[in-house]
Amino acid sequence: MYIYCYHIKRHYVFPRLGLNTNRGTETSIFIQNILFRRLIKVGINRFGMTSQVLPHSPSLSGRNHHAILEAAGPSHVAINAISANMDSFARGRTAILKKQPSHMEAAHFGDLGRSSVNYQVQETRSRLSKTVDQILRDNVAMPYFIQFMETHIAEHLVRFWLEAESFRSTTWSRVRAHSLNSVKHSTLAEPAASLESPDSPDSPNDPSRPLTLDQGDEEDTFSSQTSSRPHTPSPQDTNSHTGALIGHRNSSTSGLSDKLMKSIERDAVNIFTKYISPDAARPIPITEQIRNDIVAKICGEDGQVDPNCFVIAQSVVFSIIEEQHFSEFLRSHYFCKYQIEVLTSGSVFLADILFCESALFYFSEYMEKEDAMNVLQFWLAAENFQDQLAAKKGQYDGQEAQNDAMILYDKYFSLQATNPLGFGDSVRMEIESNICREGGPLPDCFNTPLRQAWTTMEKVYMPGFLSSNLYYKYLSDLINSVRVDEFTGGNANTTPEVDRNSSDSSRIWLHQGTKKAAVKILKNFDEAITVDIASLDPESLYQRPYAGRMTFGKVNELGQFIREAEPEPDVKKSKGSMFSQAMKKWVQGNSDEAQEEMAWKIAKMIVNDVMQQGHQGSPEVKATKVHLFLSLHS
Amino acid sequence: MATAPYNYSYIFKYIIIGDMGVGKSCLLHQFTEKKFMADCPHTIGVEFGTRIMEVSGQKIKLQIWDTAGQERFRAVTRSYYRGAAGALMVYDITRRSTYNHLSSWLTDARNLTNPSTVIILIGNKADLEAQRDVTYEEAKQFAEENGLLFLEASAKTGENVEDAFLEAAKKIYQNIQDGSLDLNAAESGVQHKPSAPQGGRLTSEPQPQREGCGC
Repeated sequence: MYIYCYHIKRHYVFPRLGLNTNRGTETSIFIQNILFRRLIKVGINRFGMTSQVLPHSPSLSGRNHHAILEAAGPSHVAINAISANMDSFARGRTAILKKQPSHMEAAHFGDLGRSSVNYQVQETRSRLSKTVDQILRDNVAMPYFIQFMETHIAEHLVRFWLEAESFRSTTWSRVRAHSLNSVKHSTLAEPAASLESPDSPDSPNDPSRPLTLDQGDEEDTFSSQTSSRPHTPSPQDTNSHTGALIGHRNSSTSGLSDKLMKSIERDAVNIFTKYISPDAARPIPITEQIRNDIVAKICGEDGQVDPNCFVIAQSVVFSIIEEQHFSEFLRSHYFCKYQIEVLTSGSVFLADILFCESALFYFSEYMEKEDAMNVLQFWLAAENFQDQLAAKKGQYDGQEAQNDAMILYDKYFSLQATNPLGFGDSVRMEIESNICREGGPLPDCFNTPLRQAWTTMEKVYMPGFLSSNLYYKYLSDLINSVRVDEFTGGNANTTPEVDRNSSDSSRIWLHQGTKKAAVKILKNFDEAITVDIASLDPESLYQRPYAGRMTFGKVNELGQFIREAEPEPDVKKSKGSMFSQAMKKWVQGNSDEAQEEMAWKIAKMIVNDVMQQGHQGSPEVKATKVHLFLSLHS
Repeated sequence: MATAPYNYSYIFKYIIIGDMGVGKSCLLHQFTEKKFMADCPHTIGVEFGTRIMEVSGQKIKLQIWDTAGQERFRAVTRSYYRGAAGALMVYDITRRSTYNHLSSWLTDARNLTNPSTVIILIGNKADLEAQRDVTYEEAKQFAEENGLLFLEASAKTGENVEDAFLEAAKKIYQNIQDGSLDLNAAESGVQHKPSAPQGGRLTSEPQPQREGCGC
């Protein structure tokens, strides 16, 4: 304990107690004083209890407990002291272990993130929450978005934006590659003179010339042009006559340019014809002025097409998409389908959950059940603190930031913390020095404990969550919203009156009837029946595809064993795939076999639907994907 | 207080918004812990608390997200509005400025939540009658004009704190019953689950076995 106090002193007091008053550090002196006094007080307390501290003593106060755990080793501290209460954590952990033993072996915990560096850089986004920009660059979400826009008769906006974007980036790449090659020509062949100079006497006999050209290739079109160039194979031809050489070279480079330029022009005109020209089938809504501007940029005086010719039009279209269509898309069942695709893709990441509001709603409930709310609370608070600080880009009040950070410190780190998380001494001291820093804490102040909290959630709680009822509930809610939407033929938020557009009066009745049925059932039963009623397809209810076949049963593509003989009352259903287990949990409370059968039919319809939507694509969409891929990787 | 796995039928997500210092965290604390925090520090970002209440014979769990009121946290707290079934918009009856800022909070709330989100206006610190700066009537009128529920409450004495959360819950439940809140909408802010504790099993109660395949 002496050592402990000394350690604190050494770290804190004298080097830090702002003896540099000329720097106006009075306030931070104040904070450090408080810290110091607290630490000393606590140190004395701990020291006073030394005699009672025994490694194996079962009855311990919280503080001593930490001391013991420290003695046991850092990994135990991290693993065991994650929740406020040792018992409840053990209970929660035991529950997890029972569910998923393979995930929860100690080996999987590793060091809970203490050795990994910079976790936050990549993971600040959820694949389930999207902005317009993200959707436009996301190959998985794009088909859903285009389908949605088709219902708004506005998909040409999206297609234009994609093609223009692809045009812009590929053109720049090609131009860059071309000019890179021009530079290579001149440096390798004529170090002293420019390419156009008529008196470049040296023999450029660089057998490496064809090589450099090839190396400069980045684009398929470009390489096809170089290969089609008649000059490639024989530099020896040009060796003999300098003049001829120059001539060759000039024509070769301008020949390249010509072909390149023509190709670029072709692409630009193509896009213009499809979307910009007044004669286009679906022109985008831009002003005459912008249109003229584009024309000018395509038909440049030097014959060069400006790769940025469509940028202004793109931003106009982007705004329209963002303001008029996007929020509705996020509420549509197309977006739900996209989310379902992500969530059933087999790899869901913690970032997907934590940065998506609706997923977080379920995850918070899960964490509360596991008595691990503290970890999540800390992560939320510290992350928010760092975010808002980073957003200020250095222009913030250090004192204010320090006060905020101290609040977190008092709550989660201090030795008298109200919600201790059991971070080790080294972390705590790192935080202390980060907070008491001259000028206030930086936006990476809490990186270390954040990383540990993140990794803990990822390794300890996520696996359990992903196989929990709550998660299936989340999935099924998403699926429900898709089904109801499609069944009622439109936005689930529309009231029956709005449906008057469909002259089919029976559809309106169905809609009202559906809602009434859903409501009635809700009063007496659980939601599973609601699902059934709401998505009933009367026709399929009475189909008996297996009637008359003399087999016991078979396994379908969803992994469900479909029994075709009369079931024995005590025969357990086969486990099937994880998805079938999911289905079982989804319809929990419903022991009625017919109900489950109906649910399976629904699930099958949903899965097929989702698969179809996800994989089908018009050739344009596919081509767009290729363009996107190229542009992203050039 | 036992929270057995499934002893509630619904979970409603709430958010608490409003200027700094009006008493949002204290309201939450009074509601979940039945205690008044005299010196509570300001909220960093968000925090959440939960409590189960009963509405029309149904047990409902409230997951309440308490947001920071400081302007500097406004951007980060906005991301928590989404998918809220209910919103408590709080002002301080002893500070007129907090009342005047309500239109800004209301705009955020309307823009970022669902059309069906229930918003309730709370005038906190009702125990400080001597320093009152906003009358009950004018706040009531503002609430009516904007379609909000309204209550004056005191986190310190506990007056109307339960009711604040309860009234909103009743309205939400009513919306579910009459169908105006679509439970199947992606971000309704409501989780609904079976009320009988089943632990995830299929067969909760024995049912008479049907005979083979009904034709």
